[in-house]
This record gives sequence, structure tokens and C-alpha cells, in this order.
Amino acid sequence: MEQENLVVQMKGISKVYPNGIAANRDVNFTLRRGEIHAIMGENGAGKSTLMKILFGLEQPTSGEILVNGEPVVINSPNKAISLGIGMVHQHFMLVPSLTVAENIVLGMAPTKSRVFVDYKKAVEIAEENATRFNLRIDPNAKVVDIPVGMKQKVEILKALVRGAKILILDEPTAVLTTQETSELFKELISLKEQGFTIVFISHKLKEIKQITDRLTIMRNGKSMGVYETASISEEEISRLMVGRDVVLEVIKDKAQPSETVLKVRDLEYTDRWNKKMLDKVSFSVRKGEILGIAGVEGNGQRELVEMLFNLNVPDAGTVYANGKSLIGMPQNIIRDQGVSLVPEDRMTYGIADIASIEENVISDRFGEKRFNRGPLFNMREIHQESETLIVDYRILAKSRKQQVKMLSGGNIQKVVVARELSSQPTLLIADQPTRGIDVGATEFIRNQIVELSRNGSGVLLVSADLNEVIELSDSLIVMYGGKIVAYFEDTDQLDDITMGEYMLGLKHQTEEEIAKVCYE
Amino acid sequence: MSSDRRLLLFNLLRGAAAIFLALLVATALIFLSSKEPLTALKYLLLGPVISFKSTGMVFNTVSFLTILAAMTPTIFSGLAVCVMFSASQFNLGGEGVIMLGGFVGALLGIYLKLNTGLHQVVCILAAAVVGGLVMLIPALLKVKLGASEMVTSLMMNYIIMFIILHFLNFTFADRSKGATQSFPFEATAKIPEIVSNGTKLTWGLVIALIFVVIIALFMYRTKWGYAIRMVGINQSFAQYSGIQVGMIIVLSQVIGGMLSGIGGSIEMLGRYNTFLWRELPGYGWIGITVAILAKNNPIFVPLAALFIAYLDKGCQLMSINSDVPFEMIDIIQAAIFLFFAAEQFLAKYRQRIVVRNAQRDLALQEAAVSREGKLS
Repeated sequence: MEQENLVVQMKGISKVYPNGIAANRDVNFTLRRGEIHAIMGENGAGKSTLMKILFGLEQPTSGEILVNGEPVVINSPNKAISLGIGMVHQHFMLVPSLTVAENIVLGMAPTKSRVFVDYKKAVEIAEENATRFNLRIDPNAKVVDIPVGMKQKVEILKALVRGAKILILDEPTAVLTTQETSELFKELISLKEQGFTIVFISHKLKEIKQITDRLTIMRNGKSMGVYETASISEEEISRLMVGRDVVLEVIKDKAQPSETVLKVRDLEYTDRWNKKMLDKVSFSVRKGEILGIAGVEGNGQRELVEMLFNLNVPDAGTVYANGKSLIGMPQNIIRDQGVSLVPEDRMTYGIADIASIEENVISDRFGEKRFNRGPLFNMREIHQESETLIVDYRILAKSRKQQVKMLSGGNIQKVVVARELSSQPTLLIADQPTRGIDVGATEFIRNQIVELSRNGSGVLLVSADLNEVIELSDSLIVMYGGKIVAYFEDTDQLDDITMGEYMLGLKHQTEEEIAKVCYE
Repeated sequence: MSSDRRLLLFNLLRGAAAIFLALLVATALIFLSSKEPLTALKYLLLGPVISFKSTGMVFNTVSFLTILAAMTPTIFSGLAVCVMFSASQFNLGGEGVIMLGGFVGALLGIYLKLNTGLHQVVCILAAAVVGGLVMLIPALLKVKLGASEMVTSLMMNYIIMFIILHFLNFTFADRSKGATQSFPFEATAKIPEIVSNGTKLTWGLVIALIFVVIIALFMYRTKWGYAIRMVGINQSFAQYSGIQVGMIIVLSQVIGGMLSGIGGSIEMLGRYNTFLWRELPGYGWIGITVAILAKNNPIFVPLAALFIAYLDKGCQLMSINSDVPFEMIDIIQAAIFLFFAAEQFLAKYRQRIVVRNAQRDLALQEAAVSREGKLS
């Protein structure tokens, strides 16, 4: 009886990517017919990989998949669709210049005399399904013009029109406003009542509690168990999600913070989807200390860093470094203030991929007098600078002329770190400095950051890696929903459970407690 | 041989293979369409440098020098495109600016009275300044308003052409002549031939080659060239690094405009006696071909320009001496482009080189690490 009810069984799934990262380790996962099942876990826990395997986008290294009790090999999304599995990706896969109806029937468009697309029929199909599944859309609108919430409905309809009985939604609420989220939930529940099975990938506790029947928690590529949503508390979920497997220790002396180097006050920002990403964020960073920002990704940390380096402009608020306002300032002026940034997205901001290591490490200083002789570059000085940095920062490369994109992820990050740390910044902003890189490079970079702060620089460390942010920071703030919800002056006594509760929005401190991080 | 050098060699060979394959395609088409395919091929491939006489084949110096002369303007337009494309600015305005450079050079050549030597320099410099100023238009439209420089510069070509024609027709025309043309240039403004044998191979070619060196140094040995290349590779990176991206975008196009202006004026004062261009001269378009063949590297520009000039001459001779039309050049060029642009062409072989290099590097690193381990 129980067996019949299981539409999907994934047994002993392991996945090792070509770069050696083991994203799934012996994961078991089952879906009952007609349930809403959450997969929870932090970024990098392996949720998306597991679902990509189910949807045929990735092949498991080992393990077995059964759909409706039959063993299957899902080697492509087409195969998954034919098995009745549909997926709505976090980043929508729609053609912006086509209408909603055209997107819905894309690849299976009804035709007139087998040649011309029957657009009228396409609209009919779209409308019919929209009514049937109770998803309100405008079939004639161009996708580029419709709001995010509607795009998501189009994606869901696309899957349903193709006959999906099992819907995988990858962090569906990450891009939605509160109203859109509650609308989505109503629709999902109505789909469930019609017999559809829904997988819901998320790390937002409240939502999960609200609409799911069961949940599977993942951490570090492993399943931490399956639970009935009603029988597990939010605290317990948070403990299972963010607990640390290995506690990593960083040896550092006690911080001796001196004067304020970065002063952020009342920063506010609403993104173009009308989502409030920063809500009255105020804090200060002092010389000689590492201030960490912990939080689950997507709670405003990225936007905050963008504002500090003028890669985006806030709606209100001020940012001062060494007493000088940074808002609206070109990056060369910001760098002149002694601010440097290890960016989160190293491939977009951190490097020029087809340029050489040498060209990458001098990008912030190539105009300096010592590197120029008259109108020409002083190549000798430039070679010397790059050779020194390659040695000092232990960049493994054939030569300074090697293209950066030929290096491993860890060494690419060392190129970025070499440039940003060697400029002797008074303030270093390190955004996810060790994400996705090997253990050796991680340790090296962490030690470099500690050394920099002990030599008197201020460091703002943003990291979604709880281990890193607790061990590396001297004091710590937690961001949730665009706000600072907690400030801990000392990280020594912090434990994962407390942190988890703040990070997932279960608790927050009083305004007086939080305001201490302004040191005024 | 070091692995980097092997990759470079591979790239050169790949270019040669692309050209070879394109010529094979052309040969096949000639055999399909022509009644005298061998004659056509003979003129296409050898005609530009060899004369066929009853007594045998003789190296044709005059024809060869004509080809060199034809390279001069396309070296400049090729360099201009190299600089602009390196900054990822797909400015196609070189065509109009070359015509304008020729016009400005011509006017100063007609109406200024200066000593020879100084006269040419003033004409060329003026053409450079005007060329640079005109390119400010698409550059500033891009930086200030976000308008695509490709569209604005392309349209600008025709605006420039018709403005020039207007002034040529109504202000500067020599009414004593049957065709619309300007008065003749002063002898002091003419750029002299290197050898006076009617090939019109002037000192302009030497100036062009000097500019090849200057632009190569500019792109790879100065902070401005560096900034241009970084903006071209990754604009977000350039901005984050503190490079003033807007200024660099403008700079690259102004330099492109100056080079085009210089090229136009040298061409006009070297190979003509009066200004008589009634339409866009076409050197700007060829410049794009040249820059693509040279992979935006100034050093390879003369080679690419020579190849295009040779091909052009070969097609001319083929169309005169056989039944294959001149338009064959478009097919050959298109085929070369196709093979050149196709990243996947011989990619498997390239991948093998990369993989082998990577494996060897890893082995070396491991060896080094274990050696260090033993030492410490």
C-alpha cells in the first residue's frame, strides 16, 4: 500500500562533479503522491543537484531512481517530462520577446497546415490551462513586460501543459514579494488538491511550515532525514540545517579595534521587483577588527556590498569610509580611500578571464608612477610586481603570462586576493572569499585576512558559510530580510543553534542591542 | 617547445588552414562554373605577382608594387578597427571617416599654401583631428545615452558622405571639368612615390608601417592600451578595478577616428590629384576584414592587409582574363570568415593540446610539492 503511493524513489544517490566536488553523498529521497515536499538546506547543501538529477539535467555517479515503482534512467529533461516530471528553475527559462502563450507552447506549438504557428490556438491552449489550474495570466502579453510573479506562473503552466504530474520548484519564493508569495501558495495548494505532487526547494522556515506536508533536510550533500512537517519544530529544522559537521579553528590574537574606518547609516534599497532588500541598515567597522555579516544568502548581503563599492545606488542612507562619502563615487576614488573588495562573483567582477595573471593583478594600480616611464609602461617593474605577488600569494601557475581562466578556482581567487590585499587597504570588504575553492586555498586566504586585520586594517567579512563567519570574525552581525537582526560583540561564545535561529528569522534582538554595532 | 608557443603555432596554422580551405571552396566553385577553370585559377593565385608571357613566367614587379600600394589605406583602417574592437566597441564608422579624412586632406591640399613637407603634415594632422572629433559622436552617444555605437556609426557613414557630396557639388567643384571633382592639389601637398614608376606606391606605406609599430606599442605597452583591452575583455571588471570605463570607450573610438582620418588623407594625397570620391571608398569595410584576420593584434595587420590586397588583385585579373566574375572575391572572403570565426574549427585538436598541457603541469606541480615536502 505504502509502496504504491510513492511516485518517486531515489535510492543511494551520489554525485561527484568533474571538479571533484561531491554534491550528493548517498542520498535517499521519496515522494508520496499528492504531497508538497520541501527540500531544505543551505546553499551548497546539494538540494539543487539532487533535483537536477531527478529532472535529467545531471547524471548521478551512483544510485537508483524509481518512478511509479519502475526503475528508470533519466538522461535528459525530455525523458523526465515524458515521465511526468516538470521543473521550474530559479532563473526563469523563458523567451522574453515572445508572448506568454507562445512561451507556453514553445516546442510543441499547434500549427496550421503543419507549417504556420496557429497563434489563436496557442492562446486558447494557454487560457484553457490557466483556467483549469487556476493560474491567472495574460496570454497575449510579452514575457519581457510581465512581473516576476506572472513569469513564474508561466513557467508552472509550461510544465503542466507538457503533462507534468510532479512539479519541482527551485526556490520559487526567492524572487517574489510577500503578496506574490501568498498567491503562489494558494495556487500550489489548489494544484495539490487536484492530485499533483510538488517538490519545494527552499531555506525559508516559515514558508515551509506553512504549506508543506513533509520535508527532507540536506547538509553538506547528505540527507539529514525526512520529517512530517507538523511534527518537527522550527528550531529543530534550523539545527539540522545549519549545524556544523567539523568545527574549524582559526588561530588569531584578540582584536585591538581602534578608530572607525567604515560608517554605514540607514541604508535602504528596494530592488526593481519591488522587494525591500535593505531596510535601515546601520553599522560601523573599526580598524584592527573583522566584522562578520552572517545570514542565509539573499537577505540583503549582496546588495549591501554593492552599495559600499558603488556598483549600485541605495534609495537612502549614507556610507563613509575614512570620513569620505562613497555613494555615487567612481571606483578609483573609492579605492583611493583605501577600500578594496574581494567580490562575491569573481568571474564577473574579480578577473578578466582571457587576460594574463600579470594583467589581472595590476588592474587597480597600473596607472601608478612606478609602473610607467613617460608614456610607456615600465615592464620591468610590472613583471617584478606580478612575480612577487605570484610567490607571496602562492598562485600555482606556469608563468605570469598564463591566462587566468586556465587556473583552478582556488588559484583564480588567489589572484583576486593578491590584488585586493596587496594594495594595503584600510578597509577590506571580503564577500564570500572562500566559496567553492579547495581547502588549501581557503586556509591560506583566511590567514591572509586575519593577518591584514591584525596589521591594523578594518575587515568586513560577508559569508554564508557559518563556520567561516564565526571563526574568522571578531564580532558579528546577522542579516535577515534586509535587516540587521542581531549583533554579537564577541564570537567566542556563539553556537550554531543560536545563530541558526537568528539567520532563519526565528529570533531578533532589540534595537538597542543592534545599535551597539554603530559604536556611538 | 613551450606549450604557450605550441598554442600560438597552432593558432597560426589554424589561420593558414582556414585560408587554404576557403581557397579549396573557391576552386571547387570555379571548376563547377567556369569553362576555363585552370586559366581562372592561374590568374587568381599567381596573377598578382607573375606575368604569363609566351617565353614563360616572369615576376611582375609593377603589379607587386601596386598591391603594396593598395595595402596602405587598409592598414590604417585595420588598425583603427583593432583599437575599437579591442575595447569591444563595434564602431563601423571607419568608412565615412576615411572619406572625410580624404576630403579634409584634399581641401587643405588645395587651398593652403605651405612648403612641401610641412604641407603634407598639416593636411594629415588636420584629417586626424577631424576624424577623432567625428568619432566623438557615436562614442558620446554610447556613453551618455547608451545608444549602440554600431547603429549610430553605421548611419553616420551616409550622413558624412552626403555632407561631403553637398559641399563638393556646391562649393568646391571645379566647374571647368566635365565630372564633379575638386580643383587639383598643390604639388607641395602630394605624398611622393617611393619609386616613380606609376605604381603610386608612396611613402604613405612607410608611414602606415610606422603606425603599426606605434599602435602595437600603444595597445600592449601603455596604460591606455591596457585599459582599452581590459574594458574590452570584461567591462564590469574594469569598472570595479577603478578604470574609468566611459572615458576609455570614448578614447578607443577617438583613436579609431584619428587613424581612419590619417589613412583617408594619405590615400587621397598619395594616389589622387583631385578629390573625386563620389561614394564611400570601401576601405573601412576592408579594415574590418583585416582586423578580424589579424585577431585585433596590430602586428598582424600588415600581413592581413597584404593578403586581402593580393586576393583583390587576383580576382580582378581572373575576371579580366577568364569567364569567372570578380564577385568570386566575396565568396572566398565569406568562406575565410566562416572558417576563421568558427571557434570549433579544429577545436578537438586544440582541446587535446590544452588537456595534455594541463596534465603535464599537474604532474610537475605534484613533483614540486613532494620535493618540497621531503626538504622540509
